[in-house]
Amino acid sequence: MSATITFDDTTLPELQQQKPEAPWGRRTSKFRTVVILAVLIPATVVTLLFWFSSIPGPVIMIAVYFPLQLVASMIAAIAVRGTKAAADAVIIVSAIGATIFSMVVLISVLWTIITKGLQALSGAFIFQNNEYISPSTPLGYGGIGHAILGTVLIVAISAVIAVPLGVMTAVYITEVRGRAVPYVRFFVQAMSGVPSVVAGLFILTVFILTGVLDNSAFAAGLAYAILMLPTVARTAEEVLKLVPDDLRTGALALGSTRARVVLRVVIPAAKTGIITAAILGVARVVGETAPLLLTALKNDKTVLNPFSEPISALPTYIFDNVAQPYPDAVLRAWGAALTLMIIVAVLFTLTRFFSAKR
Amino acid sequence: MSEPDVQERRDLQAAATSHRGDRVFNRIITGAAFVALLVLAGITVFLGAQAVPVLQTQGLDFLTTSVWSPPDYGIWGMLYGSVLLAVIALVIAVPASLLLSVFMVFLAPTSVAKVLTNLVDLMAAIPSVILGLWAFYILSPVSEQWQALLNQYLGWIPIFQNESGNFSGTPFTAGFILAIMMIPIVTSVTREVLGRTPPELINASEALGCSLWTMLRYVALPYGRGGLVGGVMLGLGRALGETIAVFFVLKIVFDPVNYYNIIESGGGSVATLIVSKFGEASGPYETQLLLAAGFFLFLGTLVVNAIANVIVNRTGRMQG
Repeated sequence: MSATITFDDTTLPELQQQKPEAPWGRRTSKFRTVVILAVLIPATVVTLLFWFSSIPGPVIMIAVYFPLQLVASMIAAIAVRGTKAAADAVIIVSAIGATIFSMVVLISVLWTIITKGLQALSGAFIFQNNEYISPSTPLGYGGIGHAILGTVLIVAISAVIAVPLGVMTAVYITEVRGRAVPYVRFFVQAMSGVPSVVAGLFILTVFILTGVLDNSAFAAGLAYAILMLPTVARTAEEVLKLVPDDLRTGALALGSTRARVVLRVVIPAAKTGIITAAILGVARVVGETAPLLLTALKNDKTVLNPFSEPISALPTYIFDNVAQPYPDAVLRAWGAALTLMIIVAVLFTLTRFFSAKR
Repeated sequence: MSEPDVQERRDLQAAATSHRGDRVFNRIITGAAFVALLVLAGITVFLGAQAVPVLQTQGLDFLTTSVWSPPDYGIWGMLYGSVLLAVIALVIAVPASLLLSVFMVFLAPTSVAKVLTNLVDLMAAIPSVILGLWAFYILSPVSEQWQALLNQYLGWIPIFQNESGNFSGTPFTAGFILAIMMIPIVTSVTREVLGRTPPELINASEALGCSLWTMLRYVALPYGRGGLVGGVMLGLGRALGETIAVFFVLKIVFDPVNYYNIIESGGGSVATLIVSKFGEASGPYETQLLLAAGFFLFLGTLVVNAIANVIVNRTGRMQG
């Protein structure tokens, strides 16, 4: 304490009266009262409205509570820190408002999927197919077994095509470093913007309308591969960049060829990252519906041959059961949505797990 | 030619041709890298080839009129509708994403920001068919109430006019679900861009007495302007191409074109048109019409995405 300057009454009376200002650290009683008032008044008004008026809840929140809270915070800010703080109050309240809005949407989506989906889920629902089932059939019969198989089959086909191509594209950008790197990168980015319905139309014109392929899992897999490739390529590129250059130069110095450096050193070093890239690619496509409607169509039977017949997948199953006039059919859609969401959530957790390990 | 030069040239030659396996490897990798170009070129050529005969039979009316009854077809209403939906989605999603990322970067404690980042990523991972299902059963009824109230109190503003009293299948609801799909995409970019504002600039502005608002206005937003615009454009590209979620909540109407009554039932979207008419396409000609529509959708999203990527890449390079 000896180093700090102390003031005493005899030497510097005027300085002692003006205490050093620390505007960020002060919590005066006036500040507290104003903040408490700014929180309580809008909340009270809204609670009263909620009980004593017939305006629906969400509307009160957006049309009454949010503007009221905004005004209250502005007044509070002006009262405590002056007019300049009003803009800050607006930003802070709106930022919290936007965050709450997004989270309410997310929770509402997840909550409805889980509560409605659980009503449909059962052993029969998971394992049976949709043969001999009409929209009015009660929930105990039939299910999404064929659609789960369809999704697995289509996604597997697309992964087998898109993951190697995507990783090779990334290897071209980071390892081979040919002259066309900027162009390749640009094309991959442009490809990631291809709408899913256009990918479906492309496969439709090139392979199905020309008679090369039937409406089948393989055709749908090709359409999915178009959507998957850019995701895999971009993630794999990021991952390969993280491999230290010392490993590459070290392997070259030991007399290894460039091909061996990539295959034996770089790719094994980035293994978990490449798995993450593949999972992200699968997660990107697993819920896509539009390409399936154009290429795989639908089928109520269980299909195992990827070349011969139309095939259903989870997204198309949901699509078929939405807006049916029978409550049980709608519950089937929710059950399939829950299954799809569980698959997506598992993939999502896996990517987090792998990228944390890396 | 002196002796060392020859030796040097031999070395260089050896280094360049090196190993036969390497040359094969390089060729295979280079070939694979051009698959992306091949696909893009393929889409352009094959869908373009379908668009040519359509433009020959329908003329430019295919793009400038709005009708879908044989023998006349025109997708003007759908093209316009796609843009209208995107604008509605932007008006909702851009402020929401910016504010959300401001909260995550500048206001929330690190632990909260981390959780929020994961939740926003999870939101981006929800398949559009599930969002469409949610929009159809949960959002639409609520949205109809809001729209009725909007019409009741703000009906004198042209965009909130509604003659029919029918608030279902409106561009507003469709734009809203698009906004919900855009928010996580745009947020993930804007969050990163705002997070890259150099801390010394933020500290300096605070030392000069800037409030949060002045810091954002004069430091963070100008610094990340390019990245922010690029993020919004990426979201826009996604909104233009989105099909299924819009399909569930929008009533496709060709005539009259719904130009600005966003809470009036009926609107358009090219992507949704393709899916909704494909099932009932009555022959090869109608399929060809849909392929042509897909071609113009592809061109539109390609342009938007190309601009977005150029902007994002340029700012990325500027900031190292």
